[in-house]
Amino acid sequence: MSAVCVLTPIVIGSWPMIATAVGGVAASLGFSIASGVGNESGKRSHNKVESELPNSEVIEESISRGQSITIEKDGVTVRIGQDERGRCTVCVSSENLSKAEMKAVGDEVSGRLIQQFTYHKLVTELKQRRFEIVDEQMTADESIKLRVRVGGGPG
Amino acid sequence: MKQPEYSIEIGSDGKVRVEVKGAQGQLCMDLADLIRDIVGQEESRQKTSEYYSTDGAVRIQGLMHGRVREQP
Repeated sequence: MSAVCVLTPIVIGSWPMIATAVGGVAASLGFSIASGVGNESGKRSHNKVESELPNSEVIEESISRGQSITIEKDGVTVRIGQDERGRCTVCVSSENLSKAEMKAVGDEVSGRLIQQFTYHKLVTELKQRRFEIVDEQMTADESIKLRVRVGGGPG
Repeated sequence: MKQPEYSIEIGSDGKVRVEVKGAQGQLCMDLADLIRDIVGQEESRQKTSEYYSTDGAVRIQGLMHGRVREQP
């Protein structure tokens, strides 16, 4: 190897890009999509923990603020949406979990959301540059490993 | 010369670790910069020995020169 970098992703994308990543999160964590993309609505629980996805911004296109996607598993509901400033938010609600347990679920979903967003963005950008993805695997600790052969150079 | 490669690991917490392999000097830095520009903020970067090396042909030539001089 000749250089090793550690990077913190910045999640800036349109709502469809976020929605694609949420689909990946749901699939990898065993959630099902409860409401699909839509405006914030439906039943509300008082027992909830809401957090903001760090370094995130949803680029507003032709959609209005307040859109969200809800995923569910075992009585736990996670709503991924955006706040007034355009930041991506993750809200976990459940009648059975404690606040700490809901926060843990929110942290896990947030991490996976960043992972899926970054994966889709990287693969799209590298393919556009005609770089070749020669190997792709999910490790035991749920990391995504990619081996990419540089094609026509970084330009 | 062997084509440069990336080894990219995206953790379940979203952190990204990138290794650039088979590239030296400015090309290596340019390839690392490319991934940084796609992904986001850089927390750390370490150059390894390969970064400073020249390509294999020059290294072999230098080694052969040394051996010729050693002969009586």
